[in-house]
Amino acid sequence: MALVGNIRDFGLSDFLYLVDRGDKTGGLYLSHGQETALLFFEKGKLVMAVRRPEDQQPDLLVRLGLLSDSQLARARASLAMRGNGATLTEVILAENLAPREQLQGTLQNFSEEAVYGLFGWPEGEFRFEQNQRPDPAAPTIPSPISVDHLIMEGVRRIDEWGRIRDRIPSTDLVVRFLDQPGVRVRGVKLSAEEWRVFARINGRDSLAEIAQKTSLSEFDVCRIVYGFLTAGLVEVAKRARPLPLERSGAIEQPRLKRSLVNRIINRIKGL
Amino acid sequence: MQTVKMVISGAVNAGKTEFIRSISEIEVVSTERRATDDTRMIKKETTVAMDFGRIAIGNDLVLHLFGTPGQKRFDFMWEILSEGMLGLVILVDSTRPETFRETNRIIDFFISYRDTAYVIAANKQDRPNAWSPEELRLALRQPPHVKVLPCVASDRESVKNVLLELLYVIQERSEE
Repeated sequence: MALVGNIRDFGLSDFLYLVDRGDKTGGLYLSHGQETALLFFEKGKLVMAVRRPEDQQPDLLVRLGLLSDSQLARARASLAMRGNGATLTEVILAENLAPREQLQGTLQNFSEEAVYGLFGWPEGEFRFEQNQRPDPAAPTIPSPISVDHLIMEGVRRIDEWGRIRDRIPSTDLVVRFLDQPGVRVRGVKLSAEEWRVFARINGRDSLAEIAQKTSLSEFDVCRIVYGFLTAGLVEVAKRARPLPLERSGAIEQPRLKRSLVNRIINRIKGL
Repeated sequence: MQTVKMVISGAVNAGKTEFIRSISEIEVVSTERRATDDTRMIKKETTVAMDFGRIAIGNDLVLHLFGTPGQKRFDFMWEILSEGMLGLVILVDSTRPETFRETNRIIDFFISYRDTAYVIAANKQDRPNAWSPEELRLALRQPPHVKVLPCVASDRESVKNVLLELLYVIQERSEE
């Protein structure tokens, strides 16, 4: 069943997060006015992204200077002979028609740039067809790439408060790491500026306080923390209200007797 | 007579009124009025105050169900309703991803300050293109221990199941 929506309401970074955490395989179709894009994922990682339908075709490899016309013809002939299950990329690598590093680097860069451009779309319909895969002859990336990095870099290119404000409505919010930030950080490369903010996150300081301590603008701190949020590294929360008796943390609701809860359960079961 | 309270919350048109109607023993007290703002685009009649349902547990105990107003401009009511509640059901329209952010805002509101037992009910699972509960968990960024349950608010058995799952969460946290 397809997942459909609009990135105005459910942002691209949110969707990429869902694909990543859900280990999704499928094709994501996006359209915004005359523009279109198609992204394919395999177990949560990006295997191909194109902004023009013709870029799904194998001759993209020639246009990108990865293969000559004759090499491409040979690869396609071999693919046709191999039959089910094989992909053009696998054939190219198996027959040493292009160095793996070059194929990886060029196709990865091409796909990443295609995705980054999408972060600037204010809106656009999307449809995710689960378990759909690219055509075997499509120019897929040899080693699928992490979505975390795409989110971080894509968000880095966003320069609009509105979207940031959706997740960070106030600079009075405090920032804290998720339970296992170390695991999440592995796939993410931080700039020096981002490290400055990252190092100041302690679960107590607000965004405004972090801005003061780093001498960055509040906008820059929010933009950076928005990137951390969308990559699943941190969370923001309201500062705990001061409580009587110097208690901290969440207010506990009055606890009920189990016997009373059991009575309600039995009654609901009997309805 | 002791009363306990459960709160049913969610974005506009998530199905709160229908949820309470499906399970309440009394005719639901609803203050529905013709919508005068942009919610009219979503449905002709929408809850501008709150719904109230009731289930008698025994001669000495009654369960009240409160449906919160969906619109942001009534969110001052949420704090009032949340005081002393037994637990919280967050309803989500599984077919409308444009409401997920608002749903997150509502969850944040209720759990920020209170140690609240809650479950998320992925409503309208009978509709085509409904996001599955697991997809909703990811979209709403809910941790694995939070129950995200399939739900059809018009189906009494489905509503019972959601309430029971919430009660099991409350049961675990209750005193012997």
